[in-house]
Amino acid sequence: MAETTIKICGLQSVEVLKSMIRLPLDYVGFVFARSKRQVNADQASELVKVLREWKSARAPKSVGVFVNPEMSELAEITSRVGLDIIQLHGAESPEFCREAGSRLGVQVIKAFSVQENGTLHGGMNIEDYAGVVRGVLLDTYDPVYGGGSGVTFTWEKALPYQLWAREQGIPCWIAGGLHTDNVAELIMKMNPDGVDVSSGVETDGVKDLNKITAFVERVKGKMAQVPDEHGRFGPFGGRYVPETLMNALIELEESYKKFKDDPDFQAEIAYLLKQYSGRETPLYYAERLTETLGGAKIYLKREDLNHTGAHKINNAIGQGLLAKRMGKKKVIAETGAGQHGVATATVAALLGLECKVFMGEEDTKRQQLNVFRMKLLGAEVIPVLSGTRTLKDACNEALRYWVSQVEDTFYILGSATGPHPYPMMVRNFQRIIGDETRRQIMEAEGRLPDMLVAAVGGGSNAIGMFYPFIEDTSVQFVGAEAAGLGVDTEFHAATMTKGSKGVFQGSLSYLLQDEHGQVQPAHSISAGLDYPGIGPEHSYLKDIKRASYYPITDKEALDALQLLSRTEGIIPALESAHAVAQVMKMAPEMSREQIIVICLSGRGDKDVESIMAYTEGREA
Amino acid sequence: MSATEMNLLDQTFARLHQEGRTALMPFITAGDPDMETTLDILRMAEQAGADIVELGVPYSDPLADGPVIQRASERALVHRVTIETCIETARLAREQGLQMPIVLFTYYNPVLQTGLERFFRLVKEAGISGLIIPDLPYEESEEVLRQADEANIHLVPLVAPTSRERIHQILARARGFIYCVSSIGVTGERASFAQEVDDFIKTVKAGTSLPVAVGFGICSRQQVEHFAGFCDGVVVGSAIVRKIEESLSLLQNEASKEQGLLQIRDFVAQLRV
Repeated sequence: MAETTIKICGLQSVEVLKSMIRLPLDYVGFVFARSKRQVNADQASELVKVLREWKSARAPKSVGVFVNPEMSELAEITSRVGLDIIQLHGAESPEFCREAGSRLGVQVIKAFSVQENGTLHGGMNIEDYAGVVRGVLLDTYDPVYGGGSGVTFTWEKALPYQLWAREQGIPCWIAGGLHTDNVAELIMKMNPDGVDVSSGVETDGVKDLNKITAFVERVKGKMAQVPDEHGRFGPFGGRYVPETLMNALIELEESYKKFKDDPDFQAEIAYLLKQYSGRETPLYYAERLTETLGGAKIYLKREDLNHTGAHKINNAIGQGLLAKRMGKKKVIAETGAGQHGVATATVAALLGLECKVFMGEEDTKRQQLNVFRMKLLGAEVIPVLSGTRTLKDACNEALRYWVSQVEDTFYILGSATGPHPYPMMVRNFQRIIGDETRRQIMEAEGRLPDMLVAAVGGGSNAIGMFYPFIEDTSVQFVGAEAAGLGVDTEFHAATMTKGSKGVFQGSLSYLLQDEHGQVQPAHSISAGLDYPGIGPEHSYLKDIKRASYYPITDKEALDALQLLSRTEGIIPALESAHAVAQVMKMAPEMSREQIIVICLSGRGDKDVESIMAYTEGREA
Repeated sequence: MSATEMNLLDQTFARLHQEGRTALMPFITAGDPDMETTLDILRMAEQAGADIVELGVPYSDPLADGPVIQRASERALVHRVTIETCIETARLAREQGLQMPIVLFTYYNPVLQTGLERFFRLVKEAGISGLIIPDLPYEESEEVLRQADEANIHLVPLVAPTSRERIHQILARARGFIYCVSSIGVTGERASFAQEVDDFIKTVKAGTSLPVAVGFGICSRQQVEHFAGFCDGVVVGSAIVRKIEESLSLLQNEASKEQGLLQIRDFVAQLRV
């Protein structure tokens, strides 16, 4: 996909333009028509000079914006200012455009306003301009005629004109109502050649460098470059913790940054992932499941074949080695289903670290086998009696314990949640899932998949799978969250479907809460998804519409577990069964040429007892 | 700023400074066991000689709190106490004649869900003087501080023994007084404190002209006496909340309620130095 170009329009101040000098802009527009952003030829000449001092790879081109100008006026301004491109925004005829292009020796772009009913403002016919203009700009939002039915709607109205431009082989810019928070969605939906923005990057009528920078980052495929230095994924993330922990988090962040690119550290991780955990994990074509569902081709990324039976070991190895490098002798962890607890206990045994695992008392009952495994591995399992006695309270208790032992203890957090730098760090330790998948699917199919599906509780396996594909906008991301007994009951963990923005366990993200900000208890048959929060990067991906999240009930997950067991001989973890259930809904609707990859995050052995209890309960 | 607009916390610390006294600052969880009793306990605390009160907003996930205050929060939340009913309780306490300044102690999410503007309007109307948000470090507090300043509510910062080089950043944004966390860990009674705590508090004192209070774990008269030697305020939280917990059966029975309240009053009174 060609990179979307950026045109910032309505510049007036030399100082403001100079402040933008390092940004990779493609076009800078000056408005000569009567408007509050109008400039005259002298002002524009000064502004164009700044473009020659540009510090990014190539200088932006200058665009003059006119509305129904006289040819003589147009000629004078163009030559005096030294404009590269002329953008005509009025009722200029095709003849006028042709003449301007040939007389002035510049490129001419014609702008059209797309109305609510899909026709062009002023009764214009875009086809009349074929062969005359070198580009078109579609202004999709008109406050007078727009009628307030929403920008997204009007974008779709622009589609036929965009297709026409594509057939003509000329670029098409989309303008109108764009700003930092909707431009990623526009790019996802329309994949335009260029975007044009003016008021959307202003504060109080003046161009705002911060907004322009954010806008540029969103457009130039820099979605992968989150979080920022404050741990923010868009508005999400951050660091909301007691002061006592702040320096520990800063120290952790600094150590992580220091070792992240250290070849020795990387080699150590790579060695353990291969020789100890057994990576790479296979990407398995689930032929019988594909046939049964009768739609898209389904692959399983077999994270269940890792040592300890789930993806959690990827992160535990990374953080365990980091703890060791930082000279910490004690590690703690929280666990829901016990998978992260087992992974941490395993790594602690391997690296000779003292290990305590906090686990909700409710979960210690649901997952007795994992409790015993952790004890066998030499870890101390601390049942948590506070709150709902599940994963969220295990996290609270781990954080409280960490506050009291922060000086010699490393907290190995298991999901892409919590305060900065955990969401970023856990993602980076888990991205091996997506990195391998990418390579493997290219080998198997010679192309990228159409869809990635993963279960989300906190969201670490999902973000690890998604992240390496984040700029491949043809690859759809789908998260399956736990709907428990149903999203219309009180017993679910559907944070994305039913939650709202809030601060929880160190970061701002979506959250199940009441209107007074009290966190609501979650419910899922799967202890690993039984969590009222979600990692901040998922909230960001949801809001920029890069990923979609759907609820899966306990029953749907159990049915999916049985289907996968019977068709493929693979018993998935209850968590992973949510992803399979989502695919059962989507694959039949897709064509046989399309490809889905499911992140099969863990194996189901640990769940056999609770499945038995559930099915017996259902039959009774 | 005229005298009538001067924040009550500033007035109180100024008066205590003149009197050469250290502020006794009890913490109580609002709504534990119910709002009516909270109003009674506030009155008792003032009678017992408390100078400033910290009113805790119960929260479902109190990260910075130990088991005693966690249990108090759970008891309060059974009655669906909300941040707004806590603020309303403060307003009622004022209306009933409570003189001492009230500092609201709340986690950030309830504030966020109330909406900052609405929150500060309610807090101001209720006659609350200060605000402590234990999970809002200065990096995240810019907008809250701005609106707090506008409302003339002091956003009181926590400083921990692990804060080190962060101390001067925290002090630079501090309002009202500085809350020194006596030791690393969550709230809850401590048998003793390390010598380093005194040094840490003295470092903080040297860096600010604002009053410095100490809290987290202080539970006995002896400990209060110790810290009163060099602090402007001493916060006693879990020990008082535990006293309330121990008096629950008395408090929840009309016939014995007065006796329960007197027990709490006596406990607070003996802490006053």
